[in-house]
Amino acid sequence: MAQVPKFTKVQELIYELPIERVMKKDVVKVTPDTSMTELKEILRLNRISGVPVLEGEKLVGVISIEDLIKALVQGDVQAPVRKRMTTQLITVLESESVVEAVKKFAQYKVGRLLVVNEQGQLRGILTGGDITRGLLETISLDYHAEEISRYRAKHIFEDIISDQTSLILRYKVKAKDFKKAGNASSKLKRALDRLGAVPEVIRRVAISAYEAEMNLIIHADEGGELTAELQPEVIRVTAIDHGPGIPNVDQAMSPGFSTAPNWIRELGFGAGMGLMNIKRCADSMRLESTVGKGTRLEIVVFLRQESGEQQTPDEERGPQPS
Amino acid sequence: METRIVNLKEIVGIIGGRILTKQPKFDTEIPSCGASDLMSDALSFMKPGSLLLTGLVHSQSVRTAEMAGLAAIVYVRGKIPAPEVISLADELSIPLIASPYGMYEICGRLYSAGLDPVMK
Amino acid sequence: MMSLKEIIEELVLETVSSVRLTNRPVAGGYAADLLSCAMKGAKKDYLWVTLQSHLNVVAVASLLNLAGVIITEGNRPDPETIARAEEEKVALILTPKTTFTVVGELTLLGVRGEP
Repeated sequence: MAQVPKFTKVQELIYELPIERVMKKDVVKVTPDTSMTELKEILRLNRISGVPVLEGEKLVGVISIEDLIKALVQGDVQAPVRKRMTTQLITVLESESVVEAVKKFAQYKVGRLLVVNEQGQLRGILTGGDITRGLLETISLDYHAEEISRYRAKHIFEDIISDQTSLILRYKVKAKDFKKAGNASSKLKRALDRLGAVPEVIRRVAISAYEAEMNLIIHADEGGELTAELQPEVIRVTAIDHGPGIPNVDQAMSPGFSTAPNWIRELGFGAGMGLMNIKRCADSMRLESTVGKGTRLEIVVFLRQESGEQQTPDEERGPQPS
Repeated sequence: METRIVNLKEIVGIIGGRILTKQPKFDTEIPSCGASDLMSDALSFMKPGSLLLTGLVHSQSVRTAEMAGLAAIVYVRGKIPAPEVISLADELSIPLIASPYGMYEICGRLYSAGLDPVMK
Repeated sequence: MMSLKEIIEELVLETVSSVRLTNRPVAGGYAADLLSCAMKGAKKDYLWVTLQSHLNVVAVASLLNLAGVIITEGNRPDPETIARAEEEKVALILTPKTTFTVVGELTLLGVRGEP
């Protein structure tokens, strides 16, 4: 899932957002007979800088603070709006996208645009501030929908310049600590979620890590360490311990083979399926061990769908190979 | 056997279930169901969003549901997990349901109700 | 009450041991993968449905005088386990289906669980 940087999102939105989504619909209006003094109060009370002038339903002009100031300077405050208003109407259609408004603002250097429908009737008013506010609201709505909080952490890989950036998470796993079994994998799973990984990838990594963690707890004399190295394209999970070591790695890999004590089965593990599960979930897996020294299990899961050979997680149910 | 999509509320009714965790979304649709006491097995074949029937009340059942993305767990035979297991499940928002019936009975009822088995 | 043989035929299951002994009646069904649960709950002449395929399964089946064990999900017992099953006259029956499915089908055939 490629991240959409905010910059491009705004550009997209300017072309996509229709003006009617961001304009002010509740328009304060005046008539041509309104006096400039009344206009002053209207502008002040509503904290706006200009209003359209309507004769009945018909849009006939627009009048702004600039016009008011000119009237004040010329001592003409008693004049009706009709005398001081601008009749050149700069309008945009409500169905047009915001980009049209942006163009008009640049072209005409006005403070506001009159938004009309196809029939020329006034539908709303649009200022630069309305556009900004509308864009921000839409972006934040979209981001909520996309759970932007997940992408925020992903900036680590994009903001930091290097030939290769990786995030390393290390978890200590205590031997025989069944109450805490799964804690490390759970934390790793949550970290991946925050970093914006795809749910299916998270699931495969979580299951692999969990099985690896269980193996450390069941078999390792002194527990071990579960390490996850996260890069934009790939996640590498390594489980390392310092004993007792596996005498026959091939045998360990065969389904159903287990050296776990029987009572482990009462905890739901120890049926010899852990390594098979990992193999099924991972894109690649490597198990190395020396008796008396320790064991190293490395699991690789690719993040992009195109790279590497992706195993489908629910394949291979049915009779186990003999 | 005709399968259909059943929701959590219906399931709880069919199995005489009691919710042990905070109130779940009862309209959650459960596409499939699996029965297992072996967590490695559940991790291997349970589809995300499905229901796990198990007699394993240890915290590992909750961890398994978390890693595999399961919708909820039904503990069979009237077994109740320890309080810390229930709080863990609440933290992870995984509904836990206790049923007085045995695994066999529950499978029979849910299968007859049309719940899809989790299969290849 | 159905016999083991009839059930095996109806559900299209595979037998790997004690094939001759499948005429025995099946009083009911029990499902669990935890041995401790099976020890408590499975009754004489019941069919035990589990995905476990190791030696201890045979021991439990023999001890409790079960009608047989259906091992699910395509799991296969190793030769040692099969040999022991022959010795102890325990019928081991295999299926690629899941426990849930097999129990469902047994239920539809009328094989009840514990009351």
